[in-house]
Amino acid sequence: MEVWNAFSVSIASVWSDSGFAGFTVGNGIMVMVGFVLLYLAFVKEFEPLLLAPIAFGCVMANFPKTGFLEDPGVMQAIHYGIANEIFPPLIFLGVGAMTDFGPLIANPSTIILGAAAQFGVFISLAGAMMLGFDVKEAAAIGIIGGADGPTAIYITMKLAPHLLGAIAVAAYSYMSLVPLIQPPVMALLTTPEERQVRMGQLRPVTKFERLVFPVVCTIVISLLLPPVAALIGMLMLGNLFRESGVTDRLSDTAQNALINIVTIFLALGTGMTMSAADFLNAKTLMIICLGLIAFIGGTAAGVIFGKIMYVLSGHKVNPLIGSAGVSAVPMAARVSQIVGQKYCPGNFLLMNAMGPNVAGVIGTAVAAGTMLAMLG
Amino acid sequence: MGHPVTTNPFIIMLINMTVVFAVLIGLSLMIRLIHIVDPTKSAPKTAVQPTASVPAADAAAPAEDKNLTAAVIAAAVAAYGCSEAKIVAIRPAGSSVWTNTARLTGIRNTVN
Repeated sequence: MEVWNAFSVSIASVWSDSGFAGFTVGNGIMVMVGFVLLYLAFVKEFEPLLLAPIAFGCVMANFPKTGFLEDPGVMQAIHYGIANEIFPPLIFLGVGAMTDFGPLIANPSTIILGAAAQFGVFISLAGAMMLGFDVKEAAAIGIIGGADGPTAIYITMKLAPHLLGAIAVAAYSYMSLVPLIQPPVMALLTTPEERQVRMGQLRPVTKFERLVFPVVCTIVISLLLPPVAALIGMLMLGNLFRESGVTDRLSDTAQNALINIVTIFLALGTGMTMSAADFLNAKTLMIICLGLIAFIGGTAAGVIFGKIMYVLSGHKVNPLIGSAGVSAVPMAARVSQIVGQKYCPGNFLLMNAMGPNVAGVIGTAVAAGTMLAMLG
Repeated sequence: MGHPVTTNPFIIMLINMTVVFAVLIGLSLMIRLIHIVDPTKSAPKTAVQPTASVPAADAAAPAEDKNLTAAVIAAAVAAYGCSEAKIVAIRPAGSSVWTNTARLTGIRNTVN
């Protein structure tokens, strides 16, 4: 009898300490959400490099009693990297090393399109405030419209850290859906004649220009908007590694090993914020809807400014490149290319669209910095 | 963190878009300024100085060099496995399609 009692007490203790005892319906729903995201990542190949670790983090975040965020360990270290804005600037270092600023330098007029696409941020911000979010939450939600995951995470951790999971998932999900979201908006706002405009080859950009631009850009933006100096500085440092021609090893590390490692940590840590208690509420649904509005608004504003440039340039600018003003490098530029070729095979808009695309990255960081200065 | 300067979304939008446009237009002007003061601007024309071994061949035997180029391209095509193909002419592409296709392929592996 004593053995039986000891056995039953031990079993009960094991059960009460297990995750099963604390597993709720909400946890079950979030695990299913994680599986859906895994499906989208692996089967549909929607941004699998980001969505896969986010999805797995979401599944793991809904195992009760793991103490991931409370006890010292790798999960807490990853959370520390997100909570203290360490990972987003490191991602920007890699993005800078991967990105060719040449198209922007060759045709600086297209920088306006990168600015115009930021309208989506503020359309979403206004919508969020109308739905009852406070101004800091609304600003963090609005940045989804910039289509720039690291900046969205960066500003969210400063203004509304409790919304990180929903905002990060919305930002990365919509970034992966750019090829589905943008084309209808582009088709709706342009005429067949406008879509068929062939843009000329860009002028060659000298090494001097490629080296001076990142330095000047860092100085100007860091002095004007110190809150985003880390983001812009790392972006430009990565680009300097790429363009200098004498730091190939650093460039290679930044655009391969480093960005891959940090992407794993950033995405896994973001997924780990998607616990049922934090994620399953009406606010999350509203954030996801507002994110979509922000993306559509940013795309529309970019295309409309593209149309203005089409008129002002004497029909030399294809308005389709305006949609690339939302950051999502280089997917948004690729969408301009694909849509342009659909209406005019043999038309290559990619390099022309990379100008506004790069400008969009800088524009989103500037918008984030301005909001931090005003609201932080 | 202090108190927000304003909570009116339209004022926030107005101020932010003004700053975003001002900064990016400023950067655009700086790009133009950098281009103007660029001391290496004219370098590409002068920098196409032939390297040590090429000039002699160019100057001495242009026809021979063309034959060599044709032979190299033919060898490359043959090595690729197009044994049924017959090269009848080699000339520079009239459009930039091939260049752009290569760029498009090269940029496919980048992420943000």
